[in-house]
Amino acid sequence: MYSKSLIAGVFTLAATSSFAASSCGKVEIADMNWNSASFMANVDKFILDHGYDCDAELVPGDTMPTSTSMIEKGQPDIAPEMWTNAVSELIERGVKEKRLSIAGKSLSDGGEEGFWVPKYMVDKDPSLATIQGIIKHAKEFPNPENSAISAFYGCPAGWGCQISGGNLFTALNLKEAGFELIDPGSAAGLSGSLSRAYERQQPWFGYYWAPTAILGKYPMVKVDFGSGVDKEHYMKCISNNSCLDPKVTMYPPSPVYSITTTEFEKRAPQAYAYTVNRSFTNAQMNTLLAWMEDNQADGEYAAENFMLNHEEIWSKWVSNDVKAKLDKAIDNL
Amino acid sequence: MAQYPVLLFEILFMIDSSWLTEFPDMSRRDLLAIRQTLDGAYRTFSRAYGQSIEDFFNPLLHFLIWFENLLIQTPWWIVLIAIIGLVYAATRSWKLCTGVLISFLAIGYFGMWEDTMRTLSIITVCTILSICIGIPIGILMAGSDRARSIITPLLDIMQTMPAFVYLIPVVMLLGIGKIPGVIAVVIYAIPPVIRLTNLGIRLVNKETLEAATAYGATATQRLFGVQIPLAMPTIMAGINQTIMMALAMVVVASMIGVKGLGQPVLKSITNQYFTLGLLNGLAIVALAIIFDRVSQTYAKRAQRHMEGSDNG
Amino acid sequence: MDNNRENLIEIEGLYQIFGEQPDDVLPKVKAGASKEDVLAETGHTVGLRDINLTVKRGEIFVIMGLSGSGKSTLIRHFNRLIDPTAGKIKVEGENIMELSPKDLITFRRHKMAMVFQHFGLMPHRSVLDNVGYGLSIKGEKKTDWTPKATQWLDTVGLSGYEEQYPSQLSGGQQQRVGLARALCTDAEILLMDEAFSALDPLIRSEMQEQLIELQENLHKTIIFITHDLDEALRLGDRIAVLKDGKLVQIGTPVDIMLHPADDYVKAFASDVNRARALSVQTVMTANTEKLEANSVAEAKANFPQDKEYAFVFNSEGYQGVLSKQQIATLNDENSLKEVLHPVPSVRKANLLQKVIPLSLNTRFDLPVVNKAGELTGRLEARKLADVLSPD
Ligand SMILES: Nc1ncnc2c1ncn2[C@@H]1O[C@H](COP(=O)(O)OP(=O)(O)OP(=O)(O)O)[C@@H](O)[C@H]1O
Ligand SMILES: [Mg+2]
Repeated sequence: MYSKSLIAGVFTLAATSSFAASSCGKVEIADMNWNSASFMANVDKFILDHGYDCDAELVPGDTMPTSTSMIEKGQPDIAPEMWTNAVSELIERGVKEKRLSIAGKSLSDGGEEGFWVPKYMVDKDPSLATIQGIIKHAKEFPNPENSAISAFYGCPAGWGCQISGGNLFTALNLKEAGFELIDPGSAAGLSGSLSRAYERQQPWFGYYWAPTAILGKYPMVKVDFGSGVDKEHYMKCISNNSCLDPKVTMYPPSPVYSITTTEFEKRAPQAYAYTVNRSFTNAQMNTLLAWMEDNQADGEYAAENFMLNHEEIWSKWVSNDVKAKLDKAIDNL
Repeated sequence: MAQYPVLLFEILFMIDSSWLTEFPDMSRRDLLAIRQTLDGAYRTFSRAYGQSIEDFFNPLLHFLIWFENLLIQTPWWIVLIAIIGLVYAATRSWKLCTGVLISFLAIGYFGMWEDTMRTLSIITVCTILSICIGIPIGILMAGSDRARSIITPLLDIMQTMPAFVYLIPVVMLLGIGKIPGVIAVVIYAIPPVIRLTNLGIRLVNKETLEAATAYGATATQRLFGVQIPLAMPTIMAGINQTIMMALAMVVVASMIGVKGLGQPVLKSITNQYFTLGLLNGLAIVALAIIFDRVSQTYAKRAQRHMEGSDNG
Repeated sequence: MDNNRENLIEIEGLYQIFGEQPDDVLPKVKAGASKEDVLAETGHTVGLRDINLTVKRGEIFVIMGLSGSGKSTLIRHFNRLIDPTAGKIKVEGENIMELSPKDLITFRRHKMAMVFQHFGLMPHRSVLDNVGYGLSIKGEKKTDWTPKATQWLDTVGLSGYEEQYPSQLSGGQQQRVGLARALCTDAEILLMDEAFSALDPLIRSEMQEQLIELQENLHKTIIFITHDLDEALRLGDRIAVLKDGKLVQIGTPVDIMLHPADDYVKAFASDVNRARALSVQTVMTANTEKLEANSVAEAKANFPQDKEYAFVFNSEGYQGVLSKQQIATLNDENSLKEVLHPVPSVRKANLLQKVIPLSLNTRFDLPVVNKAGELTGRLEARKLADVLSPD
């Protein structure tokens, strides 16, 4: 084993002694704790390792801490799926200070956020697809701990969406309508509460985002606020902690970017070019996430599966000679 | 030459010797099938019995809500007087009372009164539950070596299994909030009281117990008249540890939506609000110290005359 | 002593084997394998082997032996704190091995009380509550038993300690609490496992005397364990000697002293200062006639014809000795009191050491009287000499 990989190493070194490859070096990729991000991080690791001769390493991450760390410490090098709405100020500052580079859209359609109700509820009562209907039927969303008030499941503590969700909760006067903003504590808590409701066909009303396996698996309806999207107000106020006078707006499609450190862009331009190209449509991602969910795959397994079976997607992101290298690596899987 | 035995080995198992270098694990497909079957079974189970299990826990939920509301809605100074009164009744120590008073005043001043009351209420209920469930199990364990050999590994699992492993299934079953939180906390915090009840009873002086038997005590009289009173110092140590562990679980419980001091801590961890985290962390520490000192002082006071006895 | 008393406790063919599978090892032990062999081969400890004995109503039955000989194991069978591997235990003719759990509890509550080697007091109960334990467990109210418990505490010399806790008492005091607890139940049979071993010599002999005196009034059946022959001789009506779980001899103190069954018993016996170890009780002759007389005339009329002399008693108790020759020289006007020989009386509990000088000072036997002043026997100088002279 040892000698074999050594020989392989020497061989590849000799074959690709161009300056780009040798300067890629150690790359840290943020492995965020939700499926699509983790999947993308693993795809990046595979392609950078085998196609660009990087020494890629996954580090655990989360929206807020990872972006802070990238600006302050220049690590990790790549955040493959960054929902920038949640941390818009921070990212802007990073770009301005030439510490962050926005490489490309990792989800070309952008992420979809919103307040959702299960489809079976809307089927029964179509008025529940609008916020007026929800407010009118607030009593149908009982809070398990206090039947006198209704429950709205917010975004887990510490997520950027906790701010925007909270501001919209205020703007929509949901509190006056009898709702309590429940902090589910964690993503697992939020998805657990949703799937529990769904398995039992019970009412549920709360924040969620797409693409996610949950929304792929459980058909949900996004509640219409009737306001349209006011992107400017959203950016200026709703996504802001110090927003004093929030107004109702639908979530603008969230731009979801691959973010890298500017240092990485300069150090490994070819690898950076890959991160610019790497992008999924929501449809592609939904299929992939559904596959992951069905097979209970982790990011690594899903990435391998993706490399094996979806050449039509990834081959568009890389040059031919990189593709040749990747093919060889895939054969060894 | 040194390779010779390996060679021999490879000849012996000529067909495939990869198991020598790689662990012969089961195929991904089989593993997947097992995982999917079990998860599917759990889903079916939760769909079928979720509601009745929820109904079973309903009285507890109502009590939890009632107790929390009691602590929050009663004016703060009445709650404070009640707490100080309890502390004094248990410990007869003005020094401790002053400490408790100052801690609570500081907590209130820094705006953490309500969260502290929530945490206090859930910890109190968890402790009472742990005692009510744990002591009988400990007694059972002390009475039968067979029970002990079954329960001990279970306790090991409960203490070392990462909480989220059982938290999420519980959330699937009961939703987020107080009940799953209480279950998680009790699972994590109950082992010490069980272990130490068992230990305490097993350590009861043999001759003292024989004396009770010799004078014609029934099993019940032996248990409540001799074994439990004599094991009390050890049981109290177990209860004390249980409280400490319950408090340590506050943050984890907040990850499934239990309100209280854990939530601000969680929020500050992810948002890097250091001061907020520190303040709420300190409030948890203050609660821990109060519980610890009060329960220990009470135990010491109650067991004073047993100092120097064989069972001490 | 009186040998016609009825049997109260009978033990037949009792075996006790400690270990995982005692029943499998039993045949081997019955076949006579030694304790060491059994332990080496099977890992089982032979606690008792083939014990047969009877305890009579009203006697003090002493079990003695070296440490580890199985004394505590044996006494724990009397109230079934331990169940035997094989054998029968009968109390008043009833095999207590056949008692139901409920009957066993009733039996323990009413028939037996036990004093433990290491006291076995309850540290969380006050001294008074410890003494009343046996009664409170029967369901009697504290107000009902308190006077009784207080009285027994007083008897063992601990009045004023009612509200203390055992840990506040010395070892000797705790042992007396244990004794009071046993006496407070009114059980007929008293099991005492090295009850006095923890005491210093002074208190110990005081307690022994107290026990003998108590026994004179209470007439309980006492099974008393000790590893000390001095104590055994002093207290015991009969003594059983245990060695490695086997009974090597049962007999009266004098039997044990004068006719040891084997070298083991002999070794015990030779160590003993008999004058200090034996009490009057062990050598006295019971059932002695007395002469009730207030005047010479009465004495003449009642004098037993077959005796050389008699112990004279009147309403005030023992007066002195009157010999047959004297009677002949007296006429009815003489004051009886003046002619009597002033032979001192002794008590059952007196050590021989104390009575030797008295016996040497007179040619008569010494009368043995009890606390109430009644005659219970006489001490013959010849027997005294027999016992004291080495074989
Ligand atoms: N529960 C038990 N398990 C195993 N062996 C025992 C047990 N109890 C007693 N033995 C053994 O039985 C033997 C007799 O013990 P026992 O306690 O009856 O001695 P003893 O004569 O009372 O001694 P001491 O004078 O030291 O109290 C010892 O060899 C002891 O090791
Ligand atoms: Mg003993």
